[in-house]
Amino acid sequence: MTAPGDQQPDGGLDIERVRAEADRVLAEPLYWFPVRHHSPMVARHLRAAIRARKPKLVLIEGPAGATEMIRHIVDTKTKPPIALYASYRDDGNILGLAGKASAAPDIPPRFPVWYPLLGYSPEYVAMKEAVAIGAEAVFIDLPNHALIDPADWEHTAFDDEDNDPDDDGDHDDIDDDADDDGDEVADASEPAPGTAVPSWEAAVVESSFYQTLARVAGYRSWDEAWDSLFEIGHRHGTYDEFRRDMAYFCAAVRATSNPARLARDGTLPRERHMLATIKAELAKRGLAPEQAMVVCGGFHLFLDRADPEPPPTPPAGTWLTTVVPYSYFRVSELSGYGAANRAPRFYQAVWEHLDDKDEEPWIAAMVEHVVSVLARGRKDGEMLSSADAISVTQHARMLAVLRGRPMPILDDIRDALISCCCKGRPDEEGRHLLLAMTGAEIGNAIGRVTPALGKLPIVHDFYAQLDTLELGDVMGRDKRMTLTLDLREDQDSKRSAFLHRLAKLDISLAQREGGATGDGSTLFREKWQLLWSPKTEAQLIDKNLYGDTIESAAIAQLEEDVAKEQRHAGATCQRLLDAVSMQLPHLVQRLEAAAGAAIDEDRHFASQCEALVHLLVLDRLAIQRDLGRDAIEKLASRSYARACLAITDLGAVPIEQQELTIAHLKSLAEAVLGGDLELDRTLFADQVKQAAISTEIPFMQGAFAGILTELREIDPNDLAARVAAFARSQPAKMVLAGEFLDGAFAVSKTSMLLGAEALIGAIDQLLRAAPWDDFMVLLPKVRHAFERLHERQRLAFADRVAARYGLADAEQIAELPATSTEAGAYLATIDARVAAIMKEWTF
Amino acid sequence: MAKDSKDTDTDAGILREPAELQFRAQLDALKQHDADTPPSAWKLSPRSVLAYITGTAKPLDLTINGKKTQVAITRKFFGDDTIVERAIVTLASERALLLVGEPGTGKSWLSEHLAAAISGCSTLTIQGTAGTTEDQIKYSWNVARVIAEGPKPENMIPSPTMIAMKTGALLRFEEITRCVPDVQDALVSILSDKNMVVPELPDANMVFARPGFNVIATANSRDQGVNELSAALKRRFNYVHIPIVADQKTEIAIVRDRSKELLERYKIPAKIEEPVIAMLATVFREMRAGTTADGISFQKVSTTLSTAEAIGVALDSAIRARYFGNGAVSIEEIARNLVGSVVKEDLDDLKVLKEYLAVVAKKRGAKDASWKTFHDAALKAVTSAS
Repeated sequence: MTAPGDQQPDGGLDIERVRAEADRVLAEPLYWFPVRHHSPMVARHLRAAIRARKPKLVLIEGPAGATEMIRHIVDTKTKPPIALYASYRDDGNILGLAGKASAAPDIPPRFPVWYPLLGYSPEYVAMKEAVAIGAEAVFIDLPNHALIDPADWEHTAFDDEDNDPDDDGDHDDIDDDADDDGDEVADASEPAPGTAVPSWEAAVVESSFYQTLARVAGYRSWDEAWDSLFEIGHRHGTYDEFRRDMAYFCAAVRATSNPARLARDGTLPRERHMLATIKAELAKRGLAPEQAMVVCGGFHLFLDRADPEPPPTPPAGTWLTTVVPYSYFRVSELSGYGAANRAPRFYQAVWEHLDDKDEEPWIAAMVEHVVSVLARGRKDGEMLSSADAISVTQHARMLAVLRGRPMPILDDIRDALISCCCKGRPDEEGRHLLLAMTGAEIGNAIGRVTPALGKLPIVHDFYAQLDTLELGDVMGRDKRMTLTLDLREDQDSKRSAFLHRLAKLDISLAQREGGATGDGSTLFREKWQLLWSPKTEAQLIDKNLYGDTIESAAIAQLEEDVAKEQRHAGATCQRLLDAVSMQLPHLVQRLEAAAGAAIDEDRHFASQCEALVHLLVLDRLAIQRDLGRDAIEKLASRSYARACLAITDLGAVPIEQQELTIAHLKSLAEAVLGGDLELDRTLFADQVKQAAISTEIPFMQGAFAGILTELREIDPNDLAARVAAFARSQPAKMVLAGEFLDGAFAVSKTSMLLGAEALIGAIDQLLRAAPWDDFMVLLPKVRHAFERLHERQRLAFADRVAARYGLADAEQIAELPATSTEAGAYLATIDARVAAIMKEWTF
Repeated sequence: MAKDSKDTDTDAGILREPAELQFRAQLDALKQHDADTPPSAWKLSPRSVLAYITGTAKPLDLTINGKKTQVAITRKFFGDDTIVERAIVTLASERALLLVGEPGTGKSWLSEHLAAAISGCSTLTIQGTAGTTEDQIKYSWNVARVIAEGPKPENMIPSPTMIAMKTGALLRFEEITRCVPDVQDALVSILSDKNMVVPELPDANMVFARPGFNVIATANSRDQGVNELSAALKRRFNYVHIPIVADQKTEIAIVRDRSKELLERYKIPAKIEEPVIAMLATVFREMRAGTTADGISFQKVSTTLSTAEAIGVALDSAIRARYFGNGAVSIEEIARNLVGSVVKEDLDDLKVLKEYLAVVAKKRGAKDASWKTFHDAALKAVTSAS
């Protein structure tokens, strides 16, 4: 790929030393085979090596202690993509991370990790081939939880959304979205500490050897370099040639890597563990090194064989391993997985053609891929023909030649597709094409795990319920499904309960549209988004401790939540609502008692308001669900009374809590004015009046006055008079009028419109009275107050301002034909009058 | 080290030489070192064409009449090399090339250099306008001679297209989307059948394209939708979109190198210091994006503030400094000339410039004297323009 005048790489490398180091390892009696994850060409050569050498023991880079899972991985009924799932729970808080890596100090932190395997992952092929030749396969890597460093959590706050270890593993950030075509985009945020398996490929990219090579050869990415050097396989006729070149490459990378990185990313302790395990496994079986074979990342071939330091011991706790179905999407770069495969489906095609002993497997895979992209593009309305497919393949071949490759790799194919099929900007005119390309590269296959692995009772119950409720379609599809439930139908009602229970258990299968509150749903209708992900099963496994069925686990989880929040009226009533949604009638009764106790104990206005809102929803649900309303109404009345009595405390509410307090006040007012329950209106009004007198905060004064106006306790004209009073005050007080108005408009709109005439008069008086500097202080708050209004309401005020200044009503203007001479003349008159009015305004 | 045509046989009467003359030494050096076989009728292999456009790390030896000298192969196109690779490969294929992008992104510049490197001729050009006719694309006649002698091949006036077809060269079609669709469609049969029918000459009614013939068209993305290509013509073109330069470092390099080249061409002994160029490029980038590197947002201007426009500001400032100043291009000069580039058709852009000066330049000026100078000069220019 070098052009005339380009330099050759050296990267500051002692080539002879690197060659000698690689030759030494290659000559060892123990046969080391270097691999890259998810590489068809490595898998092909590795398979040939195992078949030719027939080792008795194959030692594979996978978490030691999970070797038991190998028999399930190689089971004929298991179909990749799958993942080896390992979860560590620090029951004794040995790492001291409870409360930092978990939601609360009494909840043990968990650290889950996924090790994905595709049909062409060298590790998977090694396991399959080992079994085929009657050899034993053993995992040798250090379990990931031995690498958890509490210091990594020093500056990482636990967050249910972002840092929940469940959300990660070594790749999983499943806050994704899928459009109708199943094309998804996921956040690729940083994984939580301790949940990512270190990859030697990061060290490759940072090494000075690679960087020099990439600069000179013009590689734009590590993937492009890898495919050009190793994946297209033109340079290696035999597995030994391939192994030798890989070893040379990795030796050069290791020799030019930053040693600090190896110390930091866990490479050294892992290698110590691998070496110790290799020795122990050989000794245990009495095998000579030449009877075994090691399959590991190329970087680890050069581990320090004389390292005196012992490997670390994993911390005590519960360590669980299993095999779960996985998907191409999860393995793809789009899911944020560290050692990702950029195009799992495309490389699957390469693997299949390699397997077919096709003479030009890459060309065959390219043709298949291009046809697939164009077919997807056509579905989206793109004008793409077979002639385009021919042009693309020709273009890709020519690009490959120009770039110094004997055949096109994925980068060439991508560029050729853009050149030949995108008629404009790729991100605009080519957006459908790009989506089609991504879809065809990634694919949507999902794996299957042998039934022989056995399922925990809760997992079994989950699948059984999916079948009963006819929701099985969602499993095995990496595509979002929308489900609308009519709760009056028996089957839908049961589905709703099941989905609510899953949501309670944080099983990421179902999400209610409009969030947890289900905004947008009606009393009889719920809308859910269902999306399978590999962590669904992993999460169920983790919830095993809560119960053997979804129902029992949901009850246990709910009880745990209630126990934690027993003094919080709002949270307890939310749990009561949960229990109703989950259709757990026995629990409802118990929770009613808990809610009553929490309401009586809780003195917080906000919490009581939240409780009241939940109880009002429950009251409406009670009719539909045939629950006794009496108990709920009593609870609501108690909560309402407590909330009213707490209003007088609101006079000194801090500024950052004002908006939230206003929202609660409004909900209380709405309950009084429009709710189904008979609530004591006088109590509310008296408390607000008292609070209005006692508070010194203008915003809250305005808010209380606004509430009282809505309650018709004071006349809108009185409120206007209070605004006018500011105009007659000293400047220091006058500037507070804006905050007062802002508070009033925050809670009251309808009543304000009723008294709009007087209010405008008062504001006019205020603005005229304000000196320029005070006006500038006043202005932002007054503007903010009006911004709280709906546009129509603002226009209504504007009409009145116009009328006040002698301009005609809007209706009068609207009656005139828009293009008539009369209208033109009339508008000119208005313009002249507005100009005259504004001239009078002096600032 | 050998220089290009400036040291050879430059015609002092030519304001701007075509690329094949201006960079002849580089093209010759690449030809002498070309290890690959060029496609039929190409002067250089695709790899050498790429090296010509993107430059090489080391100079090449050039032997002229037995005398060896070294020639630096300079970078002509700054940006993603993939764009150049895709363009070269397209020209070696069955399809024609359409370079599309915002004004001032270097489409014509790239087109000229591709034609110079591939065909050794960048002057077979049709400039597309609303008044371009089919005759200008195909051929016309010497009317007087046709009246006297009738239609004969020697009475025909060939278009650049016909010459390119006959010689196996590249035709450059600038601003193709400025032409009306009927005229554009004259290209359909030329691109698909690679021939042109001349019905007036019954004995020589076909002109066949020789190997090497192809078309490089350019289109301004702001013109899209005005005279968009027909579906038939679209299919015959590979589109290569040229984005506005993505990173600041590259943009500064472009402004510096191109300004220097233009100043040499116009023989203006003015000098633009690096910090002045960096400031010019920064202001252009920020105003184009409507945001600064430190996260301050403001409204975007409606004008395309392309890199070419920045070069224009640098050149104008240098000319002014040469003839009305002391020869050194100052920040004040740049600030004054900038206003005319930013505010063209839409007077609202003046407001945006004022906003930029108030919220960005002024703030920076509090800490940095250069920015203060820029702010004060630009504000003065804006005030007088209002």
